[in-house]
Amino acid sequence: MNRPRVLVVEDEPDIRHFVRLSLEREGMLVSEAGSALDGRIAAACRQPELVILDLGLPDGDGKTFIRDLRSWSQVPVLVLSAREREDEKVAALEAGADDYLVKPFGVPELIARVRAQLRRAHLGGADGAAPSIFVFGEVRVNLATYEVSRCHRAVHLTPIEFRLLAALIRGHGKVLTYRQLLLDVWGPGYANRPHYVRVYMNNLRQKLEPEPARPRHLVTELQVGYRLAGIERGKELARSMPASVSEGRLHAHHQA
Amino acid sequence: MHAKHEAQERPAGGFLGARLGQRLMRATPSRVLLPALLVCGLTTRLAGWLLRVFDLANVVILFVFAVVLVALRWGSAAGALSALLGVVSFDFFFVPPVYSFHLSDTQYLFTLVLTLVVAVVTGQLAARLREQTASAQAGERHASALATVAGELSAAHTTVQVGVVCARTVGALFGGEGVLLLPDRAGHIGVGAHGIDREVAQWVHERCRPAAAMDVLAGVPWHCLPLMAAHTSRGVLALRGDRLSTAEIEPRSLLDACAALIGQALDRIHFADLAREAEVRMQGERLRHALLAAVSHDLRTPLTAIRGMAETLDSPRALQADVAAGVIRSIRQQAVALHHLVTNLLDLARMQDRGVHLQRDWHALDEVIEAALSGAMSSLGTRRVEVQVEAGLPLVELDACLFERVLANLLDNAAKYTPPDTRIWISAGQRAGVLQLRVEDDGPGLPREIPCEAWFTPFTRGARESPISGAGLGLALCHTIVEAHGGRIAVVPRASGGACFELRLPQRAAPVVEKEGIA
Repeated sequence: MNRPRVLVVEDEPDIRHFVRLSLEREGMLVSEAGSALDGRIAAACRQPELVILDLGLPDGDGKTFIRDLRSWSQVPVLVLSAREREDEKVAALEAGADDYLVKPFGVPELIARVRAQLRRAHLGGADGAAPSIFVFGEVRVNLATYEVSRCHRAVHLTPIEFRLLAALIRGHGKVLTYRQLLLDVWGPGYANRPHYVRVYMNNLRQKLEPEPARPRHLVTELQVGYRLAGIERGKELARSMPASVSEGRLHAHHQA
Repeated sequence: MHAKHEAQERPAGGFLGARLGQRLMRATPSRVLLPALLVCGLTTRLAGWLLRVFDLANVVILFVFAVVLVALRWGSAAGALSALLGVVSFDFFFVPPVYSFHLSDTQYLFTLVLTLVVAVVTGQLAARLREQTASAQAGERHASALATVAGELSAAHTTVQVGVVCARTVGALFGGEGVLLLPDRAGHIGVGAHGIDREVAQWVHERCRPAAAMDVLAGVPWHCLPLMAAHTSRGVLALRGDRLSTAEIEPRSLLDACAALIGQALDRIHFADLAREAEVRMQGERLRHALLAAVSHDLRTPLTAIRGMAETLDSPRALQADVAAGVIRSIRQQAVALHHLVTNLLDLARMQDRGVHLQRDWHALDEVIEAALSGAMSSLGTRRVEVQVEAGLPLVELDACLFERVLANLLDNAAKYTPPDTRIWISAGQRAGVLQLRVEDDGPGLPREIPCEAWFTPFTRGARESPISGAGLGLALCHTIVEAHGGRIAVVPRASGGACFELRLPQRAAPVVEKEGIA
């Protein structure tokens, strides 16, 4: 029963078909719905761990579907959008979607996004306690002690940089829109100043990415927002690696 | 046609003429009788004194002189009246027997009749002179006013500008306000915020006849005139002012002339707009044809390949595993190429159709480059890309999605036309308010036989029937987008061979981002 359950809500049979085939080959249990109504029913009775949703459904706006779903479920939603319009994606994300793919998309990309979302769901910690140590690439962040290190060397972040990083980490790989980040980090007075996020993201990249011009973790979603890719829980990693002094110290902090 | 025009306009004259006639009737006692009486009284008084010195025959000339003066000042009617009054009073007061109309000598009858005739004739001549002078002056005023209006109207290229001329010049000409009322597409006249009765304005527009509309708010009548052009009314001119209600005949003809001028101006603008629309439509049509012609080949090639390869896979005799894998890979490549082509085609068609609508914002250039690179990653394959963005480059103002398309197209070109071991450089910096961005490679470079500027026109390709899929749209799209940003894109010669594209975008000063307080 460990196969992850995925619900695909898409009105185009061919797309539904190939999404199903590629996900089943990855060992997932896929159910399909061809309309928003069927999608709602399937989401309620099958309890999927991930919903893949097409924004252009014939019987309803995808955003309404997401809002409905969010009123009773926290299941991750991956949006498929045929529209090149950025504001549609932003609206879907702000309605509660977690990530998006623009059609036409490739299978490897789809699988990667689906896996990331499923991982994300486990990242929150099923054991109840919210973890405070996270790792991405060579960077290790302790949310509880405000310690950030890269390649075992401490990195100094300003308070706003840290808050921005923490917001991205709490998003667990979800795409966060400029607005969401501004509200979270700066507060409501700054909601329409996306250039603030861009400047501080640039600072974060300079400090945390080995190649700031081609970031691997602090990823830009152009005109939409940002995503923190490749994030993992620190505790599990620490167990599998020989603990260095600093890690031990961090671990101790976490225990305390 | 002109006669018809006149016939339609005549009621306007009738309407105004009736008003002027009324004024004239009311003006008669004060303008004719009073001056005649007054001047005659004064002349009689003066003549009384003069008679002590001069002979009676000489004094009668004084009366003729007075008649000339009256006729010059108050016109022919007053002149004739004063001639009659003068002769009567001369007879009564001075001709013996004094204080009686009786004549002691019959030769005085001859004198009186002759004086009367001379006075009337000179008076009429004087009055005509006055009228001619007045009408010449009025004509000059009229002509110069019309010249002003005509001059301003000829400079007007939009109906809004015509409206301004109506409000400013025509209104001032009649000492009041002028409003241009235009019909909408459905032919309904809009009166805007003015207190003009919409029904009346509509009636004037439809019937092509002038009318008076009461201002419901101020209680002042507006004169509504149709603005005629050829067969139809192009709008309504509403006027109110002091000079419209004077007794002079001049405003009426001036008004008609102004209305005709405005009508012609509106007509000219109407047809100019039609011509421009037709031109735009024709250009769009021409481009669409060219797009279709060019694209039908470029779309069909990958489609044929995809279909053929898919059918090969579908055949009952299975292909060898490695052959099948190659076919599948080709299908994928062709589909990706088709996607690029369709994206460019749609973007270009949209921009040609509706113009480029920029959503400018302040962006970090690195992010735009990052997005373009991640999109082009698979097609670039083993080509190495180096990004050199000047340290401390401020935020740049641009439409990130469109600009990403520019970079994506330049990278896509590099991927299509260079060997797999090519190196690509993206460098950016800002000098004197201009963002400079270069995308260069050390590949074979652009064919020399095509001039540099020609690369940016649609459907230009290095080789016409190239095995490399494409329609020659990418650089045209780049050019359109960069121009919309107010910038330039150019092919720059590269000393060590290869292709180099340079983009220059003018930039404003970046917005200030508050520094964090030390926490």
